[in-house]
Amino acid sequence: MEPIIKVEDLTHIYPTGQVVAVKDISLEINPGEIVGVIGQNGSGKTTLVKHFIGLLKPTSGKVIVNGKDTAPLRVQQIAANVGYVYQNPNHQLFARTVREELAFGPRNLDLPEDEVNARVEQAVEFFHLEELLELHPYRISFPLRKLVGMASIYTMRPAVFILDEPTTGQDNITTQTVYRLIKKLRDEGSTVLCVAHDMILLAEVVDRMLVLRDGDLIMDATPREVFSNYEIMSSTHLTPPQITTLSLRLREKYDAFDNVALSIDEMVSEVQKFSNK
Amino acid sequence: MQGVVIPISMVPGDSIIHRINPLPKLAWAFGVLVISFATRNPLILSTLFVVGVILILVAQVGNAYLKVAMILFPISLTLIVLQSIAPAFPKPWTPIVSVGPFTIFQEGIYSGISMLLRIFAMTTWAMLMIMTSHPSDIFTSLQKIGMPYVLNFILTMTLQLLPILQNEFAVVLNAQKSRAMKGSGFGAILPSMVPVFVGAIERVQQLSISLESRAFGSSGHKTSYRRVRMTFWDILLIVLGIVFTAGMTYWIIVDKSLDWSETMVFHPAFAIGLVVFATLGFLAFVVIALRNVLQA
Repeated sequence: MEPIIKVEDLTHIYPTGQVVAVKDISLEINPGEIVGVIGQNGSGKTTLVKHFIGLLKPTSGKVIVNGKDTAPLRVQQIAANVGYVYQNPNHQLFARTVREELAFGPRNLDLPEDEVNARVEQAVEFFHLEELLELHPYRISFPLRKLVGMASIYTMRPAVFILDEPTTGQDNITTQTVYRLIKKLRDEGSTVLCVAHDMILLAEVVDRMLVLRDGDLIMDATPREVFSNYEIMSSTHLTPPQITTLSLRLREKYDAFDNVALSIDEMVSEVQKFSNK
Repeated sequence: MQGVVIPISMVPGDSIIHRINPLPKLAWAFGVLVISFATRNPLILSTLFVVGVILILVAQVGNAYLKVAMILFPISLTLIVLQSIAPAFPKPWTPIVSVGPFTIFQEGIYSGISMLLRIFAMTTWAMLMIMTSHPSDIFTSLQKIGMPYVLNFILTMTLQLLPILQNEFAVVLNAQKSRAMKGSGFGAILPSMVPVFVGAIERVQQLSISLESRAFGSSGHKTSYRRVRMTFWDILLIVLGIVFTAGMTYWIIVDKSLDWSETMVFHPAFAIGLVVFATLGFLAFVVIALRNVLQA
């Protein structure tokens, strides 16, 4: 299978400073993969994913999206295939009403008006935005604004969906919407990249994790492998979900536990297996 | 988020000029402003401009200054064109040459050149001051000489708002591009202006809340985190600035021979060449600027 995103020796240095934000990273992401990107603040997560839509261009190295080198392409051209949900919704929303905001993307894709409207309706239903449609995006609360940001990309149905810290500042209900979104995108066969500090979210939804530290890609593996690697976790100051930590501790103490649990359900089944012995 | 952002703010550095107290710099920038408006003499204006540029080079803020000058240049070229056919001068005007319905006047060329030099002399010195002083230092120094706190705050906030607005513009443009914004030309730029201004108003609202929640407007002596020292040399520079400005202004008023509008005669070929160059130059800048904005 041809990878949808291919990164070759990517290095990025911001023009303002001498800081190397991303150092010599190479990786491939296949269509349909759900990938988490983790690391401390300032480790280069956002810098890395901004290259996938062309908002940043490599200082050296290559980024190939959908078979095309992004360097000569304009953001507008890449955006038809790649949707980027900003970390800060204030940087993403600009229209006068939520309805216009949701329709802006699909209109730019030259879709017929009834298709645009149908997509807006679907997004409204999925994200529960019925009450907000005619409001100015700045007049609604921050968590809802973030949902509008995701919905405005969702209406474009990009092949690659990039979420930058989708659950930061969200309450329980809106977080559940993010879970539903990622699962729906997986079912539809989209590729999803999720930059997050929310390990519980990642443990549940992603198949693969990229771990960044000071601009280096230090690990590329499944969540189970990443969370079990004590060295990687402590050197990046990240902590696995509590249930995973518990399962790791229990495995250390009684080696009868076979697998590291990523969720409560997995933990329950491990305990059952243990008690049956 | 770069591209359209033009930095009209401090450029950090450690040159002699950076180390001077903001007050003498302010005094000199203001002095140059007064002199520039007092005279049309090209020699005085160009001397002020050249000295300003030398100081810019000493302060090592040449790159940032060049970006500002690049914006001023096309604007100044339009002045030459407009002035040459409609001088801001008492009539009668002396015609040099007529091209179709337009007549280029002797006073027009003189006035155009002196206005261009005047703009460059003033902005060079103003930029020198802004680019080498920390905004808070300007703020504290002005307060020391009795500028009211609120007025002072308004001034510094305005100075800081400019880069913020420029940044905001880049942010909105990026957001629209990342949703496959169509179109080119002004049609594509205009829709991003609305959110920029809405965003700016939103920001001012937030600012006023955060100001009030931190006791802005309470009475009492205000202290500053940054300390500004005033040395003997700074005071000497201020005195020199005031003496220089007053002396120059006096000389300009008294010595009528400094008005060269009659004696500096322009050859018709020079006049036509200048006007054509200015027109073409302006058009070229507009085209280049538009292309840059659209490709950014």
